[in-house]
Amino acid sequence: MATRFILRRLGQAAVTILLIVIVNFLLFRAMPGSPDRILARNPYVSPQAIQQTRERWGIDRPLIPDQLVRYVGATLQGDLGFSFAQRGRPVTDVIASRLGPTLLLFGLGELLAIWIGLALGAYAGWRRGGPIDLIGNGISLILYSMPYFLLGMILLLIFASTLHWFPTFGMTTIGARFDSPVAYVADLLPHLTLPVATVALGLIGQYSILMRSSIIETLSDEYITTARAKGITEDRILRAHALPNALLPTVSLIAINLGYVVAGAITVEVVFNWPGLGTLTVEALSARDYPVLQGVFLVLSISVVLANLVADMIYGRLDPRVRS
Amino acid sequence: MTTPAATVDLAPLAPTAPAEHLFRRIVSRPDGLFGLVILAVFTVLAAVPDLLVGPLQTAVTATGGRLQPPSLAYPLGTDEIGRDLLNLTIHGTRISMVIGFLATAITIFIGGVIGIVGGFAGGRIDAVLMRITDFFLVLPTFVLALILAPIISDVIGTGSTMLGIRTTLIVIVIVVGITSWASCARLLRAQTLSLKERPFVDRARVIGAGRTHIVVRHILPNVVNLLVANAVLTFAGAVLTETTLSFVGLGDPFQPSWGQLLNAAEEVGAPNLGAWWYFVPPGAGIVLVVFAFTLLGTALDDLLNPRRRTRR
Amino acid sequence: MRSTIRARSGRVLAIVGLIAVVLAPAMTTVRAAEGDLILKVGTDQEFSGLNPWQSVYVVDYEIFTLNYDLLVGYDENLGYTESFATSWTTSDDGLTTTFKIRPGMKWSDGEPATADDAAYTYQLVIDAMAGELTMGSGYIDGYLSSAGLKSVTATDPETLVVETATPTALLIPAYVPILPKHIWEKYSLEQIANAEADGFFANDPPVVGTGPYTAVEYEPGQFMRFARNPNYWGKQGAADEVIITHFENNDTMVQALRNGEIDYARGIGADAFDSLVGEPGITTVEGNANGYSYLTFNGYPKAIEGGGASTRAVADPAFRDALAWGLDLPQLVDRVLAGHGTPGTSLLPPFQAKWYVAPAADVQRSFDLAKADEKLTAAGYVKDGSGKRLDKDGKPITLRMTWPASESELATAAQFITEWWGDLGITVTAGVTEDETLLVDLTPPEAEPPGKANFDTYMWGWVGDVDPNSLLQPFITDEIGGSSDTFWSNARFDELFKLQGQTLDETERKGMLQEMQEIFYREVPNVPLYYDAELHAYRTDRFGGWQNQPLEGGTPLFQFGPLGYTLLTAAGEEPSASPSEATAPSAGASPSAGATGSPTGGTSSNTGLLLILGAVVAVAVVGTLVARRRGAKATEEE
Repeated sequence: MATRFILRRLGQAAVTILLIVIVNFLLFRAMPGSPDRILARNPYVSPQAIQQTRERWGIDRPLIPDQLVRYVGATLQGDLGFSFAQRGRPVTDVIASRLGPTLLLFGLGELLAIWIGLALGAYAGWRRGGPIDLIGNGISLILYSMPYFLLGMILLLIFASTLHWFPTFGMTTIGARFDSPVAYVADLLPHLTLPVATVALGLIGQYSILMRSSIIETLSDEYITTARAKGITEDRILRAHALPNALLPTVSLIAINLGYVVAGAITVEVVFNWPGLGTLTVEALSARDYPVLQGVFLVLSISVVLANLVADMIYGRLDPRVRS
Repeated sequence: MTTPAATVDLAPLAPTAPAEHLFRRIVSRPDGLFGLVILAVFTVLAAVPDLLVGPLQTAVTATGGRLQPPSLAYPLGTDEIGRDLLNLTIHGTRISMVIGFLATAITIFIGGVIGIVGGFAGGRIDAVLMRITDFFLVLPTFVLALILAPIISDVIGTGSTMLGIRTTLIVIVIVVGITSWASCARLLRAQTLSLKERPFVDRARVIGAGRTHIVVRHILPNVVNLLVANAVLTFAGAVLTETTLSFVGLGDPFQPSWGQLLNAAEEVGAPNLGAWWYFVPPGAGIVLVVFAFTLLGTALDDLLNPRRRTRR
Repeated sequence: MRSTIRARSGRVLAIVGLIAVVLAPAMTTVRAAEGDLILKVGTDQEFSGLNPWQSVYVVDYEIFTLNYDLLVGYDENLGYTESFATSWTTSDDGLTTTFKIRPGMKWSDGEPATADDAAYTYQLVIDAMAGELTMGSGYIDGYLSSAGLKSVTATDPETLVVETATPTALLIPAYVPILPKHIWEKYSLEQIANAEADGFFANDPPVVGTGPYTAVEYEPGQFMRFARNPNYWGKQGAADEVIITHFENNDTMVQALRNGEIDYARGIGADAFDSLVGEPGITTVEGNANGYSYLTFNGYPKAIEGGGASTRAVADPAFRDALAWGLDLPQLVDRVLAGHGTPGTSLLPPFQAKWYVAPAADVQRSFDLAKADEKLTAAGYVKDGSGKRLDKDGKPITLRMTWPASESELATAAQFITEWWGDLGITVTAGVTEDETLLVDLTPPEAEPPGKANFDTYMWGWVGDVDPNSLLQPFITDEIGGSSDTFWSNARFDELFKLQGQTLDETERKGMLQEMQEIFYREVPNVPLYYDAELHAYRTDRFGGWQNQPLEGGTPLFQFGPLGYTLLTAAGEEPSASPSEATAPSAGASPSAGATGSPTGGTSSNTGLLLILGAVVAVAVVGTLVARRRGAKATEEE
C-alpha cells in the first residue's frame, strides 16, 4: 500500500485528535462546574476557605491561555485530571476500569450484527421481493426504528422479569466470589445475553438495510449482467463479484456510524445496569462529574477517529482506486 | 439512534419529475402508501391536539389516580401524577414532531449549504468545508449533545417559550441539528460532485450560463429530489435522537415529548410495576413514526434513483 | 447462498451448544464461600471513596461508621452512647472536655487503639484550621471547627483532653471517625485533605479500623465489600460480610430486592415503595426525613448591578408571608410525594424530636388564596385593572422559579405553584437549571468570586445531622457569601445562633431554638415545603433483628452509626440480650478469606474477560476460514 497514503491519513488523524482535545477543553470550560461546588452548600466552609481550595486546585487562573495550555499539555501526557465525584481518583483510572465491559458488550454485539446483518441484507437484496426479503426487511426496519433502550426494556420485561430466564441487571451476581475463571464466565454469560442481544438486534436492523441497498445497487452494475451472460452461476456471482463490491461502501458506512451507535450502546448499558462506559457517562452526567465526561468524550472521539482510519486502510486495500 | 447513512447516491437522467407524477408513484407502492398515511395521521394529531383531547394536562388539572391501568374513563391509563396518558401521548405527538421538524430543518439547511457549496465550488473551499464536516462526523454526537445542552440552556435561558415550544426543547432542537448535519453535508456534496460532471451542466457552461444560473436552474432542482428523500430520513433520525436525549433527562416535564414520557416511565419504575400503559403508547408512537418515515424515505429514494429500476 | 447461510448458522449453533454443555455444571457453583452470611445493601447514591474527609453523601457517612468509631456514638433513640470513648465530662467553665477511652481496644490489624489515635485525628483538624485549609469536602472537619476546637492532648492511653475556644454543645456530637495514627501519620496533611494532591491518600482497602466491619474490596462506582473486624470491641452482628452496591437505576434496585439479589434498599421511589407494601418476605419502612425541600426567595436587601431579583417584593417578609398562604403543602405531599412526607413548617424537621417546635396555632399558615390576596393588598401589593399584581414600584410582578436538574420531582411542585400564584395575579416563569449553573446564579456579591444573585425564587433542599446546628447555620448573616441562599439577616437570630451553640443545658438550648424557629416562621426567608420521607425496604428471609434508629420514625440502616448492622441476626434466630451493652469480641469470629490480600474477584474478572474475548475471536476466525474454504471449493467446481 502506498506509504504516502498511510502517512497522510495518519497525519490527518493526528490533527483531528489535537482539535478534539482543544474543543473538549473549551466545551467543558464553557460549562459551569468546578470541584469547589461540593463546598458551596456546606455551612461549615467559609468563603476564604473556598477561595484557598480553588487556588490549590488551580482553577482560579485565567482560562486562556493558562488553563488551556495546562490542559492540553496534561492531556497529551495522558493526565486527564481527577474525577469530581470519586474523590481523588484519576479520570484515566475511572475510564479504564469501565472500558472492558463496554468493549465486551459492544464487540460481541457488533460482531454478531455484522455477521448476521450483512448476511441477511445481502440475501434479502439478492432475492429482492422474495419472502425472505419482505419479512427480513420488515423486521430490520422495525428494529431500526426502535430506540435501543426501548428494545432493551422490552427484552428485559419479557425474558428477565416475566420468564426469569435471565438475570435482570449487572454483569455478574452481586457479591459472588469465583473460584475459577470458568465459574466467572459461567456467571457472566447469562448476564451478557440480553444486553448483547439488544445491541446486536438494533445493529442488525441497520446493517441489513445498508447491505441490502448496497447489493441492489451493485446488482444493477453492468458487469453483473455480463457475468450472467457468460453463464456464471448466481451463487458465484454473488460471492465473488457482487458481495465484495457491495461490501465496500458498507464497510465505510459502518465505521462512520460508529459514533452514532455509541449513543445506542450507552442507553442499553443503562437499561441493564451494565458497568461500562455508558453507565459511567450517565452517572457522570447526573453527578455533574465534568472531568469524567470530558474524558469519555475524548476517548470516544479518538476511537472513532481510529476506527475511521482503520476503515480507510481496509477500504484502501480493497479498492485500489482510492489510493491514487 | 442515528441519522441513517442510507445509500442515496443517485444520478438522475434529467431534471426533476413533476411533483404530482411523483406523488402518484409513491402512493402506488405499498411502502410509500403506508408511510404517507402514517405521516398524514400523525400530522393531524400534531396539528390539532386540543381539538381531540383538550389542552395538555398539567399536575394541577390532572384528575386521575396514580398509575391507574386503562379504563373507560382513561383509555390509556394515568401517570404518577394522575394525568391522562391519552392526553399526554397525543400532545406528545405535537412536541416530538415539531422538534423533529425543526431539527431536520436546521440539519438540512446547514448540511445542504455546506455540502452543495463545497461540492460545486471545489478546490480550496471544498477542502476546508470537508475538513470541518469530517471533524463533526467524528465527534461522538450523543456525548456532545449531553455537553452542549447545558451550555445552550445557559445562553437561551429556561422557563420561557419560543415558537410555542419551551426553550428546554429548543435546546434539544439545536443540539440535534448541530450534531446531525455532517452526514447530510457529505451526501449532498457527493451528489453535487457527480452532478457537476453531467452533460447538461457542461452544455449550460458551454453556452455561457453563469455559475449561479447553473446552480439554481440545474443543480438545485436535481438536488431537491435528494434533499426530500434525505429530509424524510433525517426526520426519522431526529425523532430517534431526541427520544434518546429525553430518555437520559434532557427533556422537559412541562411539555413532554414521547421520549420524555419514556423517561418519566423509567424513573417511576413503570416496567417493574407492570404499568405497561405508561411506556407502550409513546414507544409505539416513536416506532411507528420512525418506521413510516423510513419507509417513505426509502420509497422516495427508490423512485428517484433510476439505477434501481433496472432489475426484474 | 442459501446453503452457505444454513451451514454457517448450523456451525454457530453447534459451537454455542458445545459451550453451553461444558459450562452447564459450572453454572450452578456461583455462590460465595460456603456458610458465609452476606448482607447486601443497595443505595442510589454514589461513593465518594474511602477517605472519610471527602465524605459528601449519606452512603459515605455509612461507610466510615462501619470502618471506624466516633468518639461518642448514638443509641437506638439517638442518645449518646459509648463508642471509642466510654465516658466524658466537661469542666465547669465549659472549655475543657475529658474523654475516657475504652481500654484494650485493637485496630483490625492488631495494633493497640488508644487516646493517641484520637488525639492524632483531632490534631489533623487543628492543623488544618491553623493553615486555613479545608479538609476534603469540609463536612467532617467542619464539625470540630464549628465547635471551636483549640487543642487536644492524650494525657495517657485512656484519657483524651480537648479544649475549645468557647463553651460548646457541638464537641460531643462531632461526627468525626477516629483514625489509626500508625497508618495515617505516613501522609502529610495535604495528602490527606486534598484529593488532587500528589500522593493523595485514598485509603484503599484493606482498611484498618475499629468499627464492626472493615472495607476489603472497593470497585469505584459499583460496590464496596466489608468483612467482619475480628478485633471489634462490641457486639457483632450476624453478617460475616457486608456489600454496599450502587444502583444508578432506582427501578433496578427494587427489582433486585424483589429477586432477593439484595437484602436492603435505600432511596426507593414512591410508587415502587407502594407496590412493595404487603409483599411477603419484604418489610417496608417509611422513616422521617432529617431535612426538607424548600422554596426560597432572593432576600438580598440592595439592588445588584446586572442581576439580583426582578422585584423588591421578594425581599419583603410581608410579601413572602402572603405568598406562603398561597401554597397548598398537603396537596404537594400528596401529589409530588404520593403522600410519603409531611407538610413543611419549621426549619427544623420533626425528626429533630428534641428541638422541633411546631408554629403556634394563631400564626400557623394554611392554604387560603383569599387570605393570601387580602394580605398582599394589605401589604401594599395591589392588583391592576387586568388582574396583574403590582409591586411597590408599580411594576407587574413576574417571578422566575427554578430548581436543580438533580431534583426532578420539584418540577411537579413548580407546576402547582405556578397555578396557585397565578390566581393571585403573579406570573411565574418556571424552568429547570443545571445544578452548577444554579450555584453560580445563587452567588451574591459577598462571595469569592463575587456573583450577581440572579434569581427570584428557587427550590432545593437541606439535610441535617443529629445536632440541629448545621440546619440553622445557613440563615445567619455571616453565611451570606457562603451557604446562605436567602441573604436574610436578622440580628436576634444571629445572636441566638451563637448562644445555642455554646449552651450545654438542653432545656435552655431548646428555649433558644424555639425562639429561632418562631422568628424564622414569621419572616419566611424560605418556605419549607415538605419533609420528604426516607423510603427503605428490606427482606426478612435471610436476616432478622432489624431495628429502626431512632425507634420512632427511623430506619434500620443509613442512620447514625453501625447499630443496625450489629443487631442483625440470621433469620429465624432470636435476637440476643440488650443491644446497647458492649460485650467482649465474640470468640467465634474468624477473618474470612477476603480480609487480607487482593480480592479473588478482581483477578478472575480479567482472566474471564480475556477468555471470552479469545473465544469470540477464535470462533470468528474459524468461521471465516471455513467459509472461505467452502467458497474456494465452490469456485473449483466450475
